[in-house]
Amino acid sequence: MAIDERLAAERAGKERNASFELAMEATAEGRAPGDAGAALARASLWRDALQRFRGNRAAVISAIAFLALLAFVILVPWLSHEDPYAVNFAEAYQPPSWAHPFGTDEFGRDLFVRVALGGRVSIAIGFAATFAIMGVGITYGSISGFIGGKLDNALMRFLDALYGLPYLPFAILTLAIFGTVNFWTMVVALTIASWFTTARVMRGQIITLKENDYVRAAHAVGARWYRVLFRHLLPNTLGVIIIFVFLELPGVVLGEAFLSFIGLGINPPKASWGTLAQDGYSAYQTHPYLIVIPSLMIAWLILSAFFVADGLRDALDPRAREY
Amino acid sequence: MALLEVDDLRTYFKTRAGEVHAVDNVSFKLEERKTLGIVGESGCGKSVTALSIMGLVQTPGRVVSGSVRFNGRELTTLKRRQMEDIRGMEIGMIFQDPMTSLNPTLTIGTQLTETLSRHLDLSRKEARKRAVELLEEVHIPNASRRLDDYPHRYSGGMRQRVMIAMAISCNPKLLIADEPTTALDVTVQAGVLDLLEELREEHAMAMIMITHNMGVVAETADDIAVMYAGQIVEEATAQDLFDRPEHPYTEALLGALPKLDEPDARNGRLASIPGRPPDLLSPPNACRFAPRCKYAGSDDCTTVPPELREIRPGHWVRSAHPASERVREPVGVS
Amino acid sequence: MLTFIIRRILWTIPVVLLVILMTFLMMRQIKGNPFRNSERAVPASIQRNLDRKFHLDKPWYEQYAYYVKGVATADLGPSLVQRNQNVNDVIKQHFPVSLKLGAFAMFFAIVVGIPLGILSALKQNTISDYLSMGFVNIGYALPSFFISTLLLYFFAVKWRDVTGLPTNGWGGWRTWILPSIALGLAPLTVFARITRGAMLETLQQDYIRTAKAKGLRWERVVGLHVLRNSLIPTVTAAGPLLGYIITGSFIVESIFGIPGIGKYYVTSVTGRDYSVTMGITVLLSMLIIVANLGVDILYGFLDPRTRDQRS
Repeated sequence: MAIDERLAAERAGKERNASFELAMEATAEGRAPGDAGAALARASLWRDALQRFRGNRAAVISAIAFLALLAFVILVPWLSHEDPYAVNFAEAYQPPSWAHPFGTDEFGRDLFVRVALGGRVSIAIGFAATFAIMGVGITYGSISGFIGGKLDNALMRFLDALYGLPYLPFAILTLAIFGTVNFWTMVVALTIASWFTTARVMRGQIITLKENDYVRAAHAVGARWYRVLFRHLLPNTLGVIIIFVFLELPGVVLGEAFLSFIGLGINPPKASWGTLAQDGYSAYQTHPYLIVIPSLMIAWLILSAFFVADGLRDALDPRAREY
Repeated sequence: MALLEVDDLRTYFKTRAGEVHAVDNVSFKLEERKTLGIVGESGCGKSVTALSIMGLVQTPGRVVSGSVRFNGRELTTLKRRQMEDIRGMEIGMIFQDPMTSLNPTLTIGTQLTETLSRHLDLSRKEARKRAVELLEEVHIPNASRRLDDYPHRYSGGMRQRVMIAMAISCNPKLLIADEPTTALDVTVQAGVLDLLEELREEHAMAMIMITHNMGVVAETADDIAVMYAGQIVEEATAQDLFDRPEHPYTEALLGALPKLDEPDARNGRLASIPGRPPDLLSPPNACRFAPRCKYAGSDDCTTVPPELREIRPGHWVRSAHPASERVREPVGVS
Repeated sequence: MLTFIIRRILWTIPVVLLVILMTFLMMRQIKGNPFRNSERAVPASIQRNLDRKFHLDKPWYEQYAYYVKGVATADLGPSLVQRNQNVNDVIKQHFPVSLKLGAFAMFFAIVVGIPLGILSALKQNTISDYLSMGFVNIGYALPSFFISTLLLYFFAVKWRDVTGLPTNGWGGWRTWILPSIALGLAPLTVFARITRGAMLETLQQDYIRTAKAKGLRWERVVGLHVLRNSLIPTVTAAGPLLGYIITGSFIVESIFGIPGIGKYYVTSVTGRDYSVTMGITVLLSMLIIVANLGVDILYGFLDPRTRDQRS
C-alpha cells in the first residue's frame, strides 16, 4: 500500500510541477517587463476594451449618434446650395417643410444649414476648449503628482482656492478682458473656468500609478524619470484621458451655449447653437422650432457623449460593472 | 423531528452564460444542541447552502427547489416579513470578514441594540444594558465605554466577537458560522473558536460550522458533511469521518493535512489534490470528482452520477469507490 | 469634531483673500474707464478728484488692501456707474431674490431627485428604473434655457387657463414654481444619478447582508443602513451643484424676468461698473466657499471615519 501511495504522490507531484511551469509561462506572457511583453499586453488590452465596448448596446448606439452628429455638421454645409447668410424676407419665419427641413429664421435664412454651421462652431469650440483643458489640466496635474512633496502640496492648495471661483462669472470676466467674443476668446474663457477638475483627476492618477510596482521595477533598472513618465505612466492614463474628453465636451458646449444665451456669444453673422437659441428665444411663442432645434442638437451631443463615456469606462474597467 | 431538516436543496445562479448549479441536491438533518461541520474547498457551495437556509441568496441566485424545515416550519415558502422574524431571533448567522461586516457609520451600540429592540420587547435602557452584558459575554474589555465606539476603533478579532454577540443576542436556537475564523490571525482564531463553543453550551444552541479547515471541525463538530462541487459527498460523525473516511476526496483532504508527528514530516512534500473542481455551469452527468480521483476508472464513474448511500449506520457517501469497498490497488491518476 | 470644524473654517480665509485678489487683478485688465463711459465727458480736475476718492490713483496692491479692508467691514464701496447707490444697496435689493430662487431650486432638486434615485436603485432594471433614468438623462442634457422656455410655453402660455401661472415677474408664490423647476432640474438629475449609484453600491456591501441576517425590517435596513452610507457621495456632489445653481441663475432670471443678481451682473460687466462686478463676484465666491465648507462639515458628520483623520 505504501509503495502505491508513494508512487501516486510522486505522479501527483510531477503533475503539479508541470502545471506550475505552465502557470509561470502564462504569467510571463501576460506581464513581461520587457518591451515585447509590454507591447503584447498593451495590444490585447485595447482589443479587449474594444470588444467589451462593442457588446454594450447603449454605448454603440450613442457612438453612432455622436458620429452621425459630426457627419451632419460637416457634410450639410458642404453639400447644400443654400446660402446661409442670404437675407430673404419673403421667406422669413417659415415652419419646417421639404424645402427647409428646419424652417427659416427671421431673416429668411435656412435653419437647416445654419444649425449645421452653428454645430461646426459649437463643436469646434467644444473640442478646442476640451483639448486646452486637457493640456493645462494634465500638465498641472502631472507635474504636481509626479514631483510630489511640497510643490504638490502648494499646487493643490492653490487649486483648492480656485474651486471657490464661480464658473460663469469667471468666464464672463475673461471675455470682458478680451473685449470681443470670437472663437479663440471663447475657448480661452471656457478653459480658464473649467480646468481644475481635470488637474485634480490627473494628479490622482499619476500618484496611484507612481506607486505601482512596475514603475518601481523600471526605476530599479535605472530608467530616467522622463522615460518612466512617457513610457509607463502616461500610456496607462490614456484610457482615463479619453473618457475625460467625452465627459468634458458636453460641459464646455453647454457653457458656450449659456454664455451665448446671455448675450456674450460669438459675433454675428457667425453663429453657434447658443446664439441660434438666443435668436430663436424671442419668438418662442409663435415659432418654437427656432429655439427647439438648436437646443435639441445640444442635448443630442451631450447625451451621446455621455453614454459613450460611460461605455468607455465600462470597457476599460469592467470590474466596476453592475449587472 | 430534527431542529433543521434540509431536503434536496438546489440553488442556482442565472448568469449570461447559463445557470450555475451552486448547490445541487444537498440534504442533511441537524438536531438541537448539536454541531454540524460543513467542509469543502472554495466554491463548493457551502456558503450558498447557509445563505439558502437563511433566505439571503441575492439575485441572480435563487433557491430553485428543495425544502428547508426549521422547527417543523417550511422556510423556503415564507414571505419576506415572516423570514425577517425568524432571522436573528430563531437563527443567527456570522460571516467571514469582520472588517466589512459591520456598518462603519453606526456605533457598535446601535448595531447591537437594534437587533434587541427588533425582536425583544425591551426599553432603550434595558436594551443598552443587555448590549453591555453581551459585549462582556464575548470578552470585550471596558464594555460599557466601548459601546459607543465606531467599528473602525475595533480590531479584527474584536469585531468578530461583536458579530457573535449580535448573532446570539436574541438567543436563537441555531447559529450558523460561515468561516468565522478564516479572516483572522492564527493567534486569534483559537480564542474565537473557544468562545463559540462556550456560548453554544451556555445558550443551548445548535450550530453549523462552515469552513475549509479540517482542523477547525475536528475540534468542534459532532457531525461533518463534506461538500464538493455543490453536493454532499460524505456525511458522518466527526469521529467516524476521521477514523475511517470513505470518499476519495475526504481521504485526499485528510491526506493533505501536514502531519508533524511523522518521521519524514520535515522532508516530505505537502500532498495536494491535482486538478480543479468542475465548472458548475453545466455539471457533468457523472461523478463530479472523477477527473481528480485516484480510483476512477473508465467504468461508471464517468457516466453515472453516484447517489448518496448509507454505507454504515450514520455514515453516508456519494462514491462508486468508497474505501471499505475497494478490493484492488488504485487504477491510477486519470 | 470641533477642531475639525475650526480647522476647515480657518482654511477658508486665505482662499477668500486669493479669490478677491484674482478677481481684482482680472478686473483691472478690463479696458475702459467707468467714468469716461457716461454721456458727458468728465473734466480733468473732477476726474482727478474722483480718482483720488476711489483710490484709483494708488498702485494696485494698495487698492487691493483697501478693498480687502472694505470686504472685512462689509463695505463694498459705491457703485461707479449708478452715482447714488452703494454696491451694498444693489446687493441688498437683488441678492435675496436670487437666494430665494436658488434655495427653492435646491429644495426641489433634493426632494424629488433623491427619492427618485432611491426608487431606481431599489427597483433596479425594472421599468420604473429605466423610465426614471431616461427622464433623468434627458433632463440633464437639455440646456436650462430650453427647459425654461419649454416650461414657459406649456404652462404659462398654452395651458395658462388651467394653471394660472404667470410668464414672468417675482411676487406671489405662483411666480416661484416654474423658475425653481427650471433651475433645479439639472441638479435634480445629478442627485438622482448619484444617489442611485451610491445605493446600488451600498446594497452590495457585507454589512447590509449582516443587517438582513439580524432580521431587521427591510424598511430599516434601507432607511438607516443603506441611506446613511449612500448619502455621503450625494452630499459631496451638493457642493459643486450649489455653484451651478448660483451661476445658472443668470439665465433663468433673464428668461423669467426675475430681478435677481444674475441679470445685474452681466450689465455691470458690460457697463464697466467695477465695484458692482467685484462686489457680486466676491459675494458669489464667498457663497460657494461657505457652501463647500458646509458640505465638508456635513461629510464629517455623516462619515465618522473622516473625523479621526488629519484633514
